[in-house]
Amino acid sequence: MRFEKEIEIVNSKENVWRFLWDVDRFIACVPGCKEASTVEPGKQYAATMVEKVGPFRVSFPLRIDVVESRELAYIKALAAGSDNAVGSRLKVELEVGLKGDGNRTVLSLAASVDVLGKLATLGHSIIKRKADQVMEEFAQALKQKLEGAA
Amino acid sequence: MLRRFRLEEPDTIQAASDLLVRFGDAARLYAGGTELLLVMKEGLVRYERLINIKQIPNLNQVKLENGAISIGALATHRELTVSPALRESLPAFVQMENNVANIRVREVGTIGGNLCFAEPHADPGTLLLVLGAGLIAAKKTGQREIPVENFFRDAYETCLESDELLTEIRIPRTSAGGVAYLKFGYLERPSVGVAVRVELGGGGKSIAEARIAVGCAGPAPKRVEEAEALLKGKSIEEATRLIEEAGGIAGRASQAISDLHGSQEYKEHIVQVLVKRAFQQAVQKS
Amino acid sequence: MATASSRRAERQTIALSFTVNGRDYDLDVEPQELLLDVIRDRLGLTGAKRSCDVQVCGACTLLLDGRPVSACTLPAFEARGKKVLTIEGLAENGTLHPLQQAFIEHGGFQCGFCTPGMILTAKLLLDENPDPTEEELKHFMHGNICRCTGYKKIVESILAAAKKMRAAARKA
Repeated sequence: MRFEKEIEIVNSKENVWRFLWDVDRFIACVPGCKEASTVEPGKQYAATMVEKVGPFRVSFPLRIDVVESRELAYIKALAAGSDNAVGSRLKVELEVGLKGDGNRTVLSLAASVDVLGKLATLGHSIIKRKADQVMEEFAQALKQKLEGAA
Repeated sequence: MLRRFRLEEPDTIQAASDLLVRFGDAARLYAGGTELLLVMKEGLVRYERLINIKQIPNLNQVKLENGAISIGALATHRELTVSPALRESLPAFVQMENNVANIRVREVGTIGGNLCFAEPHADPGTLLLVLGAGLIAAKKTGQREIPVENFFRDAYETCLESDELLTEIRIPRTSAGGVAYLKFGYLERPSVGVAVRVELGGGGKSIAEARIAVGCAGPAPKRVEEAEALLKGKSIEEATRLIEEAGGIAGRASQAISDLHGSQEYKEHIVQVLVKRAFQQAVQKS
Repeated sequence: MATASSRRAERQTIALSFTVNGRDYDLDVEPQELLLDVIRDRLGLTGAKRSCDVQVCGACTLLLDGRPVSACTLPAFEARGKKVLTIEGLAENGTLHPLQQAFIEHGGFQCGFCTPGMILTAKLLLDENPDPTEEELKHFMHGNICRCTGYKKIVESILAAAKKMRAAARKA
């Protein structure tokens, strides 16, 4: 599943860039994401993705690897984790692009989300809807945090 | 295989409600189990206790009482198909029930369980939406009537509180009107379901009342008021001319997304086709 | 108040007294034991099969108090005080039921995996409706899936058996 979003943030590119690397503040913008930690600054992080649809709960402990980054312009990260209780695996490839000048930054988000295993066969459309929701809330939270506190 | 669980068998609504309060998320109501046991077998949910409510008496009857048809939540789909009261007053409902899943699911599965599990790809909810049904939810301290429009929150989620049991479905008897429910799918569960009810007025020449509901395509069944408004008050000829537009509105309102059941465009198209056919059938029957 | 749902439940035993193919049994079962496993593994009646395991294929069909159920998704305790009929209980004193005979004569099975469920469901159909139309038959049997025959021979077998059974009833 692929999701793309572009949001305009009233803040400088530098502040946005700095925010993106502040693990705790960044992860706080992702709904369902908890327990963020830095394994190797700039390279490897960890977090847990918890989601609920009706009575169904999933918890994916994620390993996040930063595979590419260009100062003030671009980050590409890969996240992966398994929830053995439901025999499923989550893989996310996230690309973040920054553009803009002065106090106006355009943040482009592109996510490739794959759910493998039981959840995928049984709940494809539910997952898609949920992932869409997460992306939307994430984008809004980023915007809010970055415009609220400069 | 099923993970080990403990069985509770209360024989009153109050006792069942107490158990729900006592065990919270670790327990779940169990009736036919035709949805619940499947997801438990898959390991997608785990419950330490199942509360078998089939011992509670008088929850599976179909009765006609003061202007309403009362359907007990524990009535199985099969019991509904052979109910003389339902066959006489709501043949469209009987026909829908007679085509739920397969003969074995109909034998064991209950209408209450179907509604409460709120699986998106299901039939009864969509039809109940055009029938103006009320759902009775009971707990230790009393009961309340929930309009069916408010019942389904999201996929697998209803507005029932954690200590409530669905006990009854009440359908107001409609004196004049034609109802049709049509569904489409080639997988095990329906991919698209459409219900239409029309009441004729003006000497049988115009649409006094129109109800349109879509299900299965989106996360929960819903009425499409915008499509209904297009037809209400129009002559039958005018409404027939507008039905494709109404169907298009219903399709877009269905919250369909592309998945194994079909692409979003395809599902929206099927909704439109079924709305047209169901409308024609409903008008003919009224 | 609420206990964590990941905590393992304590073992519980339920007394299951029921009749299978006319014979009484008294067993102890746990709540999560499925009827199919009790019938197959504890009673050795392996005619009913686990095939899809999600109650859509009908290979696990049993008649419980004369009504069709998916034994793969029914807890065994639901059979308390009830009568179970499996395919093994259909023949009487070594004489095959007309349906069994018809399936043999008309080629109603190939691998035979769906057959016990097919025959039990067809038996119920003919008990309720001795002269079904093909449409009525197909609607009734919709939940019994066959991967081998393409269904034509199954329909023929059932209609042939129905004809024989009606004739026998007239003579009786």
